[in-house]
Amino acid sequence: MEYLLDIYGFGAVLLDAAGDAARAALAGGAAVLALIAAPRGAARPEGALLLALARRWTLRGAVATLVVTLAAAALQAVVLAGTLGRPVGDSLGAAPVQASGAMLGAALVLAALAAPRAAPPGWRRAALGAAALALLAAAAAGSHAVARPEGRGLLFLATLAHQAGAALWLGGLPPLLDALRRLEPAPARQVGRAYSRQAAAGAGLVLLGVVGFWDGYLGEPEALYGTAYGAMAMTKAAMLALLLALGGANFLLLHRADDAAGRRLPLVRRFVECEIALGLAVFAAAASITSLPPAVDLREDRLTLAEIVERFTPRAPRLVGPDHATLAISALQARLEEEARRTPAARAPAGYVPGAGEPPPRNAQNVAWSEYNHNWSGLLVLLVGLAALLDASRRIPLARHWPLVFLGLAGFILVRSDPEVWPLGPIDLITALRDPEVVQHKLAGLLVAAFALSEWGVRLGRLRNMGARFVFPLAMVAGGVLLLAHSHAIADRKEALLVELSHLPLAVLAVAGGCARWTELRGPEALARPARWIWPACLILVGTILTFYRES
Amino acid sequence: MPALAAALALPPAGRRAHAHAVVLASEPAPDSRLPPGPATVRLRFNSRIDHARCRLVAIGPDGAEVPLAPAPPPGAEPVVLAARTPPLTPGAWRLRWQVLALDGHITRGDIRFTVVPPTAP
Repeated sequence: MEYLLDIYGFGAVLLDAAGDAARAALAGGAAVLALIAAPRGAARPEGALLLALARRWTLRGAVATLVVTLAAAALQAVVLAGTLGRPVGDSLGAAPVQASGAMLGAALVLAALAAPRAAPPGWRRAALGAAALALLAAAAAGSHAVARPEGRGLLFLATLAHQAGAALWLGGLPPLLDALRRLEPAPARQVGRAYSRQAAAGAGLVLLGVVGFWDGYLGEPEALYGTAYGAMAMTKAAMLALLLALGGANFLLLHRADDAAGRRLPLVRRFVECEIALGLAVFAAAASITSLPPAVDLREDRLTLAEIVERFTPRAPRLVGPDHATLAISALQARLEEEARRTPAARAPAGYVPGAGEPPPRNAQNVAWSEYNHNWSGLLVLLVGLAALLDASRRIPLARHWPLVFLGLAGFILVRSDPEVWPLGPIDLITALRDPEVVQHKLAGLLVAAFALSEWGVRLGRLRNMGARFVFPLAMVAGGVLLLAHSHAIADRKEALLVELSHLPLAVLAVAGGCARWTELRGPEALARPARWIWPACLILVGTILTFYRES
Repeated sequence: MPALAAALALPPAGRRAHAHAVVLASEPAPDSRLPPGPATVRLRFNSRIDHARCRLVAIGPDGAEVPLAPAPPPGAEPVVLAARTPPLTPGAWRLRWQVLALDGHITRGDIRFTVVPPTAP
C-alpha cells in the first residue's frame, strides 16, 4: 500500500494521459469509420482496405480504453479504500468510479458496433456517432467541470467540445497514417482530403472548448504565468500551435491540385507522424493540468512578471560544489531566510495527493547542490548539441562521437542524483533501492548510458539494426511526455512554480527535437535537410536552459 | 532523452506536491490559536466533494488521533466539510483532512493550530 501511495500522484496523471489518448483514438477511429470509410463502401478495393483499417483502429482504441479505464478506476478505488480504511467495494459508489463505468460501457458498445467487417449501414453509423458522444460525455462527467461549485453546465459543454475536437482531429490520425501508407497515391489523397475536413472541424471544437475554459478556469492573463495551471495551459497552447501548423501544412499539401500531388504524400506522412507525437505530448499536458487546482481558485501568492524576469536573468553557472564553510553558502542561506521572513504565510492551507507531503524548508546547501547538478548537466548537453551541430555539417569526423559525452552525464546522474545514498551518502545502495524515487533516478542514469552506447554504435555504423536508429527520437519524445506528466507534482508556491517554468520548455524542446530527428531519419530529403539542424538546435537550447538554471 | 533524464533524475531542492481540490479557507485558520474545549472545524474547498468518502482527524499534542465525523453543514454548498471536535486540550494540534473531489482527485493535507489555556487575570 505504501508503494502504491508513493506512485499514486504520478501514476494517476500517466493513466489520465493514456486514458485521454485511448478515448480520442476510439472516438476518432469511429468517426473515420462512420464518416470517411463507410461512405466509400467496400465495392472498390481501396474502399475495402480503408474500411478494414478504420475498423482495426477503432477496435484497438476500444481495447486501450477498456484497459486504461479499468486500471485507473482500480488504482483510485484501492488508494481510496487504503487511505480511508474501508473495503474496496465502498469506492464503487463514488461518482468518478461510476463515470468510469459509463466509459467502459460506451467503449464496449463502440467495439460491438465496429466489429462487423461489412460496411456499416446508416443506422450503425448513427449508432457509432451516438456511442462516441456517450463515451466523451462520460469522460466529461468525471472531469474538472462537474466538480466546480458553479458554471458547471457551460464547462461541461466546453469539455465535451474540447474532447470531441481532440477525437476528430488527433484520434483520426492513426487510421489516416495507415491509409496513407497502404493506399495508392490517388485514393490516399482523397482520404487525406476527407480527413483534413474532419480535422478542421475538430480543431474548431478544440478552440471552442478553450474559449469556455478561459472564463471558467483561468479568468485573466496574469493567471497564465502566475500559476502552475496557467503555465501548463500555455505549454499546451504552444504545442497546439505547432499541431495547427503541421495540420495546416498537410491541408495545403493535400488540397493543392497539380501533377506533383502524389510526390507530396511522403511529406504528409511525416507530418502526420510528428502530429501523433505532439498529440501524445498534448494529452500528457492535459492530464497534468487536470491534476492542478484551476488558476481562478488561486488568487493569492501568484508569481509576478518581475519575479520571473529576476529569476530568469542569466547568472554565471554554479560549477563548484556546495560547501557549508564557504561565504557563498552562508550568504545564500541568509538570503533564503530573509526571503522566507518577507513572504507572508499562506492564507489557505496546502493540499497534496496521497503519497506526497510537506517538503523540508529551503536550505542553501540543497539549493546549491541542485543548481550545481543542473548547471553541469546543462554544460554537458550543450557540448553534445554543439558537437551534433558540427556533425550535421559533415566536415568534422571527430564530432560523430558526440554520444560519448552522454556517458559522462550518465555517470553524473548515477552519482549525484541522491546525495544521501552511496557513494556520496551513508545509505548503502541495496537499502536505498527500496525507495521508488531512488530507483527512478538510477534507472534514468542507466538508460542514458544505454542510450549513449546505442547511438554511438549507430553513428559508427556498428549497430546495423535499423530499429536502433529510432531509439534516439523515440526516447526524446517519451522523455518530453514523461516530463510533462511529471510536472503535475509542482504547483503554485512561488519557488516551485519558478522551477516549473524552466522545466516546461525542456519538455516541448524534447518533443520537437525528437520529431526533427525522426524526420531526418525517415525523410524525404526535402524535410530531412532542415531537420538535421533543428534537433541539435533543440539540444543546445535544452543545454542552455539547464546551464543557467537557478533556484535562488 | 539524456537531457530529460537529467531534469527528471536531478530533482530541484524544494518540490511541493499539490492537487486538484484545495482548501480555500479553514476554521481554524493555519497556525491559529484556540481556547481549550470543543471546537467547530469547517473547511471550504474549491471543488465539490464526496462527503461519504472524506476523512477528518484531529491529532493531539501526544500524537493520538481523534477521528471526527465530517458532514456538510445543513443547507451549505457541497464544497464545505464541517465537524465538531471533542474537548481540545492545550498543546499543538493538527487537523488532517482527506477528500475525494467529484472529478476523482484524492487530496489530503494538514492544518496546524495551537490550543492555549486562557491567561490568568
